Amino acid sequence: MPRLAGFSTGALAFADFSGALAIMQGINEITCVEFSALRHGELLPLLKAVPELQKHSRIAKYGYISIHAPSNFDAEQEGEIVTLLLAHTPKHWPIVLHPDTIHDFLAWQKFGEQLAIENMDRRKTTGRTAEELDSIFEKLPKARLCLDIGHARQVDTTMTEAYKILKKHSDRICQLHVSEVNSASRHDPLSASAIRAFQEVAWMIPEKIPAIIESNLAALPAGNARAQAIQDEIDHVQTALTPLEKPAIPA
Amino acid sequence: MTVMSQDDSAPTQNSIDLLAQKLGQATWENIRNARVRAQEMRIQYTGALEGLDTDDTSIVVFGSLARDEATEQSDVDWTLLIDGMADPKHMDAAFTIQQKLDEKKAKAPGKEGTFGNLSFSHEILHWIGGEDDSNINTTRRILLLLESKPLGKSAAWERVRNNILHRYVTEDHGLWVPKKERGVPLFLLNDIARYWRTMVVDFAYKQRTRNNKGYALRNIKLGLSRKLIYASGMLACLRCHLDISDKDWSKSSRDNPQALIDNLRTTFDMTPLEIFADTLIRVEYHHLLPESKKLFDAYDKFLGLLQGQNMRKHLDELSIHAMDSDTEYIQAQTIRREFGDALLKIFLGQDSDLRDLTIQYGVF
Repeated sequence: MPRLAGFSTGALAFADFSGALAIMQGINEITCVEFSALRHGELLPLLKAVPELQKHSRIAKYGYISIHAPSNFDAEQEGEIVTLLLAHTPKHWPIVLHPDTIHDFLAWQKFGEQLAIENMDRRKTTGRTAEELDSIFEKLPKARLCLDIGHARQVDTTMTEAYKILKKHSDRICQLHVSEVNSASRHDPLSASAIRAFQEVAWMIPEKIPAIIESNLAALPAGNARAQAIQDEIDHVQTALTPLEKPAIPA
Repeated sequence: MTVMSQDDSAPTQNSIDLLAQKLGQATWENIRNARVRAQEMRIQYTGALEGLDTDDTSIVVFGSLARDEATEQSDVDWTLLIDGMADPKHMDAAFTIQQKLDEKKAKAPGKEGTFGNLSFSHEILHWIGGEDDSNINTTRRILLLLESKPLGKSAAWERVRNNILHRYVTEDHGLWVPKKERGVPLFLLNDIARYWRTMVVDFAYKQRTRNNKGYALRNIKLGLSRKLIYASGMLACLRCHLDISDKDWSKSSRDNPQALIDNLRTTFDMTPLEIFADTLIRVEYHHLLPESKKLFDAYDKFLGLLQGQNMRKHLDELSIHAMDSDTEYIQAQTIRREFGDALLKIFLGQDSDLRDLTIQYGVF
């Protein structure tokens, strides 16, 4: 059985989770989803819609669902965001959070294992490396990890940092973010180089870990070309997460 | 990977201090002073050069400043390492760097053109061997691994170093085929050895082209700081064989080389002296502690000698014809010999665990 793979809603339809769900509806290979609320204003409408989404089975086909918390907020907004997420997010949906956004770690401790800290790209000043993640998990001991393998490659193209993160924090990983992260830290479809690089550490990522694709396809117009691009990206991600060579001893 | 902060210079206890403690009576004040001075200088220059680097460029220093062996007379060997988009403004940044360093009364780099200008990751990374791998290119690449530190933003420096190591490890066919229990990265070790031999040959070249001027000081440096760089590089390669666990070796392959890269990167994050101290302090090298003491005692005396402005000047100006009867030079030669003897015993002594590896990988 292939690894669960699906998209971040923001990768398919900018600030429009409903539109993204509609795009994914007919594609059988999409088996998981992440609801993106990267901008503060997206969070409340999304959370309000959750009961409706569940009631009408629009998300029944997904074997894994997560939600991405806003990536930029001030200390005053933080309390409101925490309250909203605590009140309205289904408990079995992991909440992905950028560590550099946190003002009050105590507030986020309330989520326990539901919180998934994401490793950061090179523009950020924290959360980029295995060592930097250590200090974050000291403050959020129960939190899990969303391994953004594209961020890890952008920080270190030899994938040695990804290797170190996987070696040190593999027991925390609950999902992946997969994309080509370019030099401007934007999420592009996977290149051949990225696929080859990801394969070098793929043996360390258990098959049960779902892959959320962040490659930006939102600009593509509706039609066969977009459907093909989505299908191609899923295939590329599955290839990238298949080890080239199985080591003698399992991870 | 340690993403280095702007200030990596807090004088915390390192492996040299721990080895000194283990040896009891050793103090190595000159080594300690040189480290503190180097760290202070790096802080000072980092502040002066703030804003001249980017995520695509790192200002990198080499030599004694990077090795934590600075004296008041140390050159500031620097380069603006570029790993990103081509930009004519890089040259402007390089001019400004030298101007700011001049304002700080930093001693300018040597005349060879290896430092004090721009370096490009493409050449350093892709031209390993072959016609295009010039003396300058080899020097920059090997010294990026063996003795370099970024002032300020470190991202470009880290990327280039990591990718150099990736090439040395993944393209080392003999390391992976046939599959071995463990090995030594010979492609890398051979390039480090090539660099060392080039340095030694260039020593003779400079002797001729400079008409023996500065011979005595260069001779002492060759047998101490230059030899230390080479020996630390060899030790770093041998440590892949010694340090990496059976489990990690068994999981490693040309397609999964990260355990080796990580080991090398961690080792090269240390200064050459720290690599020795970090190795020799281990229980399995306990029997080499007397030689370790001799090695560090000799190097401490060498740094003490360089820290004395008069002595350095004296050696720099000493005529080649007067050397054999010159008391100071004879003293310096004795230090050089003590250091060399200790190195020999550490790598090739009958009771050294490094002996077999050195013979197997370091000779032919």
